[in-house]
Amino acid sequence: MIQVKNLTMPQGSVYGLVGPNGAGKSTLIRHLTGIYRPDSGSITIDGQPVWENAALKARIAAIPDDWYYFNTASIRDMMRFYRGFYPRFSQERYEKLRDIFRLDEKRPIRRLSKGMQKQAAFWLSLSAMPDCLILDEPVDGLDPVMRRQVWSLVMGDVSERGTTVLVSSHNLRELEDVCDHVGILDHGKVLLERSLAQLQDNMVKLQVVFPDGITEVPAEIPVLHASKIGRIHTLILRMNADEATALLAQYQPLLVDAVPLTLEEIFIYELGGADYAVKDIVL
Amino acid sequence: MQSKTSFFNRTLFRKNLSRYWPLWGFASFVGFLAPAAALVRMAQSGSMSVEPLVVRQSYYYLVGDIVPIISLVYAILCAMAVWNYLYNPRSVGMMHSLPIRRQGLFLTNLLSGLAMMAIPYLVAGGLGTLLFACCGGFDAWGTLATVLAVIGQSVTFFGLATFCAFLTGNIFALPVLYFLFNFLAPLGDWLCNLFARGFLFGFTADYSGSVDFLCPVVYLTQRLYVNTEMSYQEVFNVQGGGHSTEYVITSVTLENAWLIAAYAAAGLVFLALAYLLYRRRESERAGDVVAVRVFRPVFRFGVATLSALLGGRLLYALLWESFQVGDTFTPVPLAICLIVAGLIGYYAASMLLAKSLRVFRGSAVGALCLVAACVAFCAGMRYDLFGIERRIPDQNEITQLEIYLARNTYYLTPEDQPELLSGAQDLQRTLIAQKDLIRSNYETYRHGGSSSDPDASTNIRYIYTLKNGATVERFYVVSFARSDLQTSGSYANVMDSFVNSPALRQARLRWGDPEFHVESGSFDSQSTGDYFNLGTQECETLLSAIARDAENGNWGRYDWFEDDGTAYAMDLSFDFYRDLIDEHGTHYRSYDSIYITVRPEMTETKQALLDLNLATEQDFVTWQELNGITTEA
Repeated sequence: MIQVKNLTMPQGSVYGLVGPNGAGKSTLIRHLTGIYRPDSGSITIDGQPVWENAALKARIAAIPDDWYYFNTASIRDMMRFYRGFYPRFSQERYEKLRDIFRLDEKRPIRRLSKGMQKQAAFWLSLSAMPDCLILDEPVDGLDPVMRRQVWSLVMGDVSERGTTVLVSSHNLRELEDVCDHVGILDHGKVLLERSLAQLQDNMVKLQVVFPDGITEVPAEIPVLHASKIGRIHTLILRMNADEATALLAQYQPLLVDAVPLTLEEIFIYELGGADYAVKDIVL
Repeated sequence: MQSKTSFFNRTLFRKNLSRYWPLWGFASFVGFLAPAAALVRMAQSGSMSVEPLVVRQSYYYLVGDIVPIISLVYAILCAMAVWNYLYNPRSVGMMHSLPIRRQGLFLTNLLSGLAMMAIPYLVAGGLGTLLFACCGGFDAWGTLATVLAVIGQSVTFFGLATFCAFLTGNIFALPVLYFLFNFLAPLGDWLCNLFARGFLFGFTADYSGSVDFLCPVVYLTQRLYVNTEMSYQEVFNVQGGGHSTEYVITSVTLENAWLIAAYAAAGLVFLALAYLLYRRRESERAGDVVAVRVFRPVFRFGVATLSALLGGRLLYALLWESFQVGDTFTPVPLAICLIVAGLIGYYAASMLLAKSLRVFRGSAVGALCLVAACVAFCAGMRYDLFGIERRIPDQNEITQLEIYLARNTYYLTPEDQPELLSGAQDLQRTLIAQKDLIRSNYETYRHGGSSSDPDASTNIRYIYTLKNGATVERFYVVSFARSDLQTSGSYANVMDSFVNSPALRQARLRWGDPEFHVESGSFDSQSTGDYFNLGTQECETLLSAIARDAENGNWGRYDWFEDDGTAYAMDLSFDFYRDLIDEHGTHYRSYDSIYITVRPEMTETKQALLDLNLATEQDFVTWQELNGITTEA
C-alpha cells in the first residue's frame, strides 16, 4: 500500500525518487502513469487526475525498468505505434535522434542488447515530446558514454522545453549529479522531500577533535551517527553547519571541520531513523 | 489529433491485425479451400451451372452445421490474440500507460478481434459468392441471411470469449475457462444424470438435454435446420422417349434462425459485462488465474465441486464399484470418494489462486464446508430429499403419458383415458413403494438361483409430457416369479391386473382409435416358413377379427412367461402411424407396432387368416407341437 499525500514536482525540475528495495517506488510510478488505479484518493498532475485521462497521459512518457515492446517489432515499428498514440510525437526529432543513438531501426528489438533496448526506449520516449518524463532505473545497462549522452538529452529537454523529470534510481551518485529535488520513499510513505540544496543544508558531517578529558561524544549532542578514528570523531548531525559549530563550541574542540554530505549519506542517515541504519556487521 | 485519444485507435487496430496475420491468414486459407473444392467438384461433374436455391441450401447447411463449430474454436484464438496484453505485467503496463482510455482500448481490441473473425469468412464467402454468381447461382437473400448469421455467431462466441478473457489474468487459463463456460451446462446435465442414475429408482437417463440452450454450439447445431420444399415434375425425354421424375427446389428456409439473433444478443450482453469488468480490473492482476476478486471463491468452490463429482466418481469406480450390490451407489464409500476428490480440487484451486503451495493454513472452514456439502449431497440423493424418484405428475399437469408396458406402447391422455392414466400411475406408485424388493428381486433374477426365484423380467417405461413442455421419464426393470402374480398387492399382481384389464386390452389393439391408422403388417408362420407383408386392407380385416376375439374373451391376456408353448407358432404384427404436430408447429408422423400372439381359442382371427389365404391348416401348429415335431425330426 502506498500512502502519498503530497509529492510535489515543480515544473521543469528533475525529481529523484529514492528509497530502499520494496519502498514502493515502481508502484508509485505505475500510479503516476495511470497503470494502477489508486485504492483511494487520486494522483494528479497539474491538478488533473491521471487515471483514465488520455489527454494528460499524452503529455507523459515513461520508461519503466522492464520496458515492453511487441515480440517481433523493430524500433521503426514501435515508433509508428507510439506515433499513433502520442499527438505530439515528433518525426523530426526522431530523425535527429537517430544520429545519436545509431541503432538499427529495422532489427527486431528483442535481438538488441539490454543497453541498446534502453537506448531505443529513450529514443522513442524523447520523440514523444513529453512534458513529463518518468524514468525507472533509466540508465541501467547503458555504458558510461551513453549514460552521459542520455542525461545530456534529458537535461536539454528540461532546460529548453521545461520538461519535468521523475527519476527513480538506486544510483544515488548519479542522481546527485542530475536531480534538483529529492524525495525519499520508505514503506510506501514519503519520508521527506526537499530540494537537494535544502537536504544538504539540513544535515551536516563534522570532523571534531575534543580537548583532553573528553574521550566520547557528549550525550547532549544529538548525533545521527558517530565514528572515531584515533582522536578524530566524525559526527553526522541533523542541523546546518553553523548550528552544529555553535553547539560544539561549548566543549572547546581543538578542531571542527565541516565535510559535504553525499546524497548516499543523506539517504542512509535519513532512513537510519526508519530502522534502516547500516549495521556494522562483523562475520 | 482527436483520433489519437478517442474511443477507437486506428494504430492499435492495424497493429493487432498486422501482429496476428498468421492467425487470420491461415484461417482464410482454410476458408479459401471451401470455394476451391466446390469449383473442382463442379468442374469434375462437367456442370458449371447452379441454381440460386441450391446455393442458398448450401449456405444454410454451413450456417447450421459448420459455422457454430468453427466460430466456437476460432473465437477463442482471436480473443487470446487481442486480449493477451492483459496477462503480462509488462505488456499491461505499456498498454495502460498509453494515452487512451480503457474504453478506447476495449473497443479497438474488440473490433480487431471481430475483424480477425470476419476476414476468413469474408474470404470464403466472397470467393464462394463470386464463383456461384459466375455459374448463375447468385442468391442475394441467401447471401445476406448467411452474412447476418455468420456475424451473429461470431458476436456470440467472441462475446463469450471476451467475457472469459476479463475473468482471468492468465493466458493458459483463458481457453480452459472458455470451453468450461461453453460446455458447463451439458457437463452439469450429464453429471446430474450420472448421480441420479446411481441413486434414484427409475432414473436411467444419461443426459436430459434440458439445459442445452445454455450451450450455444450444441443448441445451434441441433436446432438450426434447413427446410427445403420441393416439387416433383414428370419430364418427357424427347430423344430417348419415356418419362422421368425430376425434383425442383421451390423454397429453402433456415428454421429457428431467430436463435442466432438471440445468442448474438447474449454475446452483446457478455461484451457489456466484459467492459464493466475491464473498468474495474486491476492491472496488477496480470498472471492471476482469476482476475476478479469476487470470482475467486466461485472459482475455488467451482473447481472443488467439479473435482468432487468427476474425480469422486472415478475414484468410486476404481476402488468400490466392484463391491457394489446392483446398480445403485453405496452412499458412504461414494461420499468418501467425493470428499477426497473434492478436497484435492479445493486445494489445487487454492494453490492456483495463491500461486503458492502454502495454502493449508486458514483454509479449514472452506474444506469443512466442502466435506459437509459432499455428505449432504450423498444423503440427499440416497433418501431422495428432493422427491425426484417419488415424483409422479398430477393429471392436471399432464398432456400425455407414453407408457411402454408388456411389449406395447400406449399413449394416454387425461382427457381421453383418465382411468387408464390413473391405473398407470397407481402401478408406478406401487413400483416406487416396493423399490427395495424390486431391486433385490432383479439382482436375484440376474444372477440366477433356485426355482422359487423370479423367473420373468419386463421393462416399463413412463414418459410424461407435461403442459409446460417438459418431459418426465422413468424406466423400471421388474422381475417376478409366477407366484408373485397371485399375491395381492404385490407389484407383479398390480402390474398384471393393469395390463390385462379390459380397457388396456382395447387400447393395445387400437381398434377403433381414430388417432391410429394401420398402415402395414406382417405374418410369419414358423411351421411352414411362409412370410407375408400385409396391406392395409388385410390388416384391417385381421384387426377386426382380433377385436371380435377380444370381445368374446379369447384375446388379450398377456402371457408374462411366454413359455407354456400353447400359442400358435406364428408371428403377427401390425404397424400403425399417427399424425402429430411438434412444438414448432411442424406436422410429423409417428410410427409404432403391436405384436399379436395367436392362440387356438382365437377362432375369429384363425378364420380371417384362412379367408385371406395367409395361412392354411398346416400353419396352425402350437409351439409345443412344433418343438415336438422338430425334436422328432
